[in-house]
Amino acid sequence: MDKLIEILEEICPDADYETCETLIDDGILDSFAILSIVSEIQDEFDVTITPAEIIPENFNSAGALWSMIERLKEA
Amino acid sequence: MSLTSLQLIGLVAVGVFLYYTVCRKYQWQLLLVLSYIYYLASGAKNIIFIITTTVVTYLAAVFIEKSEQKNKKKILIAALFVDFGILAVLKYTNFAIDIINNISGGNISFVNLLLPLGISFYTFQSTGYILDVYWKRTPAEKNIFKLALFVSYFPQIMQGPISRFNSLSDELFKKHTAKFEEIEKALVLILYGLFKKMIIADNAAMYVNTIFNKYEQFDGLVIVGVLAYSLQLYGDFSGGIDVVRGISELFGVRLVENFKQPYFAKSITDFWHRWHITLGTWMKDYVFYPVTLSKWMGRFQKFAKRKFGKKLGRSLPICIANIIVFIVVGIWHGAACKYIVYGLYNGIIIGFSGIMADRYRAAKKKLNINDKSKGFVLFQIIRTFILVNISWLFDMSADVKQAFIMFKNMFTKFDWTPLFDGSIFADNPGYISYMDIQFIAIAIGIIVVFIISVLKEKKVDVAQKVISLPWQVRGLIYLAVIFMLPMIGMPPDSVGGFIYAQF
Repeated sequence: MDKLIEILEEICPDADYETCETLIDDGILDSFAILSIVSEIQDEFDVTITPAEIIPENFNSAGALWSMIERLKEA
Repeated sequence: MSLTSLQLIGLVAVGVFLYYTVCRKYQWQLLLVLSYIYYLASGAKNIIFIITTTVVTYLAAVFIEKSEQKNKKKILIAALFVDFGILAVLKYTNFAIDIINNISGGNISFVNLLLPLGISFYTFQSTGYILDVYWKRTPAEKNIFKLALFVSYFPQIMQGPISRFNSLSDELFKKHTAKFEEIEKALVLILYGLFKKMIIADNAAMYVNTIFNKYEQFDGLVIVGVLAYSLQLYGDFSGGIDVVRGISELFGVRLVENFKQPYFAKSITDFWHRWHITLGTWMKDYVFYPVTLSKWMGRFQKFAKRKFGKKLGRSLPICIANIIVFIVVGIWHGAACKYIVYGLYNGIIIGFSGIMADRYRAAKKKLNINDKSKGFVLFQIIRTFILVNISWLFDMSADVKQAFIMFKNMFTKFDWTPLFDGSIFADNPGYISYMDIQFIAIAIGIIVVFIISVLKEKKVDVAQKVISLPWQVRGLIYLAVIFMLPMIGMPPDSVGGFIYAQF
């Protein structure tokens, strides 16, 4: 999780990732940021993220992103 | 059957009456019948294309859901090939012939193909649905007639918005009861849409057509022409969408918003989050993400990271995918090179902004700029408005060459005399006597729309505010607008059609 927060803060430093649960709904992460995050997650956690995973439910918070990573690791 | 035609008013009036009375148990079925009546009235010959798209989309979704993983992709590709194939043949054959003739010096004759009503909108909506089923975002619809309604729903087939199955289907298939307040709100929306279309767009169109058609004669009026086009396009498209949403809400069916005060955008990216929102969302979900996350782009990203470092290597494929998306957006707008340049212009600006985002952030910090201050926000809005207006040159000019000539004239020639002495309409004397009324009409239009836009930006439900006024006051407002529309909203030679209805 710490590594994920580090990635998020590097790509888009203007948010509080510990508390924010509306990263997509409030437009904090735009599509450019989302794809940058996806790129880093794929490299760091060795998972493959497909277009099917790019939904607000998976990107609205650091917790949701972490759940997606864990699910993809298990798959 | 145009959005402002008497036939449509008749169809909607009869439809709404039946919908809430004798057909209240068969509401979605009635909407399907109304949609096909509307479609047949708009060109009976073209019905075969929308039926083909519906059947192919229905079968593809059902079989994708049932099939094993290895076959899902084959069905998906085949269905997308058919749906997009119909669109490509009907919309882009002559564009392809033109390119071939230009390259080879040949003289292949153009073919006479009629473009079915709303083909771009229903094709995008259908293919989006197939992809959503493929990605398991929505279950396949088992009732072909329900899917047929989703594809052909008559208010939105005229000029969008491009809806998602999982949101529109809930609205289409649930029971609706007549609520006077909701119907009045829908009528307010329709009236506001007509106001934007007839008062702003149709009056601005006279200047746009004259300045762009005679751009060599009126070379000092480019700024006036492009600003007028800015007004025309917004009034026409967003006004049309308001009418569409209003008609739909008469049946209790809420359509997704397609505009959110686009000229208040702070960047080109923000502009595309506010202008034709559903096209932008469609492109993002079904082109931008799949292209960026494709295997070949993944390989390129790895190569780019090694070659150019982590940050640039990460951003470069996203920028390329972004440019591809905007080329597609350009081609969607029309089969001509100028639209490709229009798309490239937007794509390059957004891509470049993405790559430079870190540097912008650092520069703002260094210069101690508060990006939430009113002054900086105003600067961002004006900067974006100028960039958007430059893009409209490519949209409205006859070709790329004209757009570049007008772009140059924009900064070098400023002779506004034809505007003030009336000679701009020397070839159309009927226009000259109309100019004073027209200035007043456009000025009233801009003030009203500006005030409403500011309120909407502050999350005020303007329609709700209007219907909450005492009946005497809102009655006066409605009567004023209704009388104003034919008096100053129908300039000479106004054709009355909607620009986006040709898509």
